[in-house]
Amino acid sequence: MTAETTTNDIINRVAHVMIEELKLEDVTPETFDPDIDLVDEIGIDSMDLATVALVLQDEYGMRFDEDDYPKLTTIRLIAEYIKKELS
Amino acid sequence: MDIAKKQNSFRNNEDRRWKFSEIIADPVVHERWEKVRKFFFLRESTYDMSNHCNIQCEGCYYFKGDKQFVEEIQDPLLWQELMKNEKKRGITYVVLAGAEPSLAPALLEVCYKEIPLGCIASNGLSQISPSVDYNIHISVWGNDETSLRVRKAKNMLQRQVRNYRNDPRAIFVYTFTRENIDEIFEVARFLKENDCKLTFNMFSAPTGYDGNLRHTEASLANTREAMLKLITDYPKNVLFSHYNAVAHTHKFGLHALYDCPYPRMNPSTDIGLGRSFRQYRTDLTWDRNMSCCVPDTDCSDCRHYAAGSAVVTAKLFRHASDPETFKAWLDYVDAYLAIWVRGYEQGENLCNHIVSPPKAETRIRN
Repeated sequence: MTAETTTNDIINRVAHVMIEELKLEDVTPETFDPDIDLVDEIGIDSMDLATVALVLQDEYGMRFDEDDYPKLTTIRLIAEYIKKELS
Repeated sequence: MDIAKKQNSFRNNEDRRWKFSEIIADPVVHERWEKVRKFFFLRESTYDMSNHCNIQCEGCYYFKGDKQFVEEIQDPLLWQELMKNEKKRGITYVVLAGAEPSLAPALLEVCYKEIPLGCIASNGLSQISPSVDYNIHISVWGNDETSLRVRKAKNMLQRQVRNYRNDPRAIFVYTFTRENIDEIFEVARFLKENDCKLTFNMFSAPTGYDGNLRHTEASLANTREAMLKLITDYPKNVLFSHYNAVAHTHKFGLHALYDCPYPRMNPSTDIGLGRSFRQYRTDLTWDRNMSCCVPDTDCSDCRHYAAGSAVVTAKLFRHASDPETFKAWLDYVDAYLAIWVRGYEQGENLCNHIVSPPKAETRIRN
């Protein structure tokens, strides 16, 4: 598995969790732009991000630092953070 | 170490780290989590409605600060425009406070029409039209003898109850000061006899205040004891939990315990309250440096119920550390929603013992 593939896998999984946990409509993991600003353009707030972070922690067996997750405002940033924590 | 090994190592850690899915595995906890998370869409801001009041209370936040001197805009059209703009920037919940919102009835109607979720902080001496279906928080500062002394108003509790008995919007908010702790028992009994809902606030000193109402460590401990007794004695009337009592009577204030996310103490504008919260004065302006729910409070002494509702609730991530801490947090949020959201019913508390705020001692030591 290449590093790039792994990042893409994580991006896809993060998108899936986000759609499922936040009940987002009209978007699929495949169509979810990984660079879209979740706060500005989707309207996600800190409680939403915390919820997603908790679910992703379970899935990947890693920890988000409490001070870090509010800054992870795109799916790509979240995926890169997870990848870094696991490497 | 590859990813699979690292994941197993994390999961087999002797120092138990709970997975979130384990924490919410209990069906009762899971149900409560689903119940409260439906309200994560709430985005609040607060608004001063008038710069005059029908009473003058010692230690009143509003009349301790500079906000009282700004122009009082009472034009409903300007307020309507403000509310429309607030809605556009994502505000879904309004707190109408200062100095006395019941004195601006036309503005209440305008706000309700534009943003139908909200709350009015009132002294309860004037009735608010039933067409404004926000929760109404009625401030109580002791028995009628104390109210006469501190608020210069006669028969205050009797008048408040006469106005709001049988009104499902009404929640009486008893503010504990250093001097009125024992009076809560007669006040709570009277409210219970009249089938009124009750919750608790803590006097939090306005900036520069050094009077007799300011809490001490001993008065905080006594207040906690009184709160816990009343939760047990009047579970159907008192909207509160053990963890509410812990958070609001801790020797350290809310900011020291939880890192207040309101703009006044939080420079970040990335997300959450630091990004969206505003506190509007009666001239419809706001100042980020002064923006919090009670802007003239001394932040180091802040244990205010309105502050806690946001400050503690926002710390979901920190409380998802183990089942008991998470249950305590759920109780807090459940009580908060019952206090602030019309029609939301508080469930039975899940955690009826003392749980310390997460990382409190570490954070304060550092």
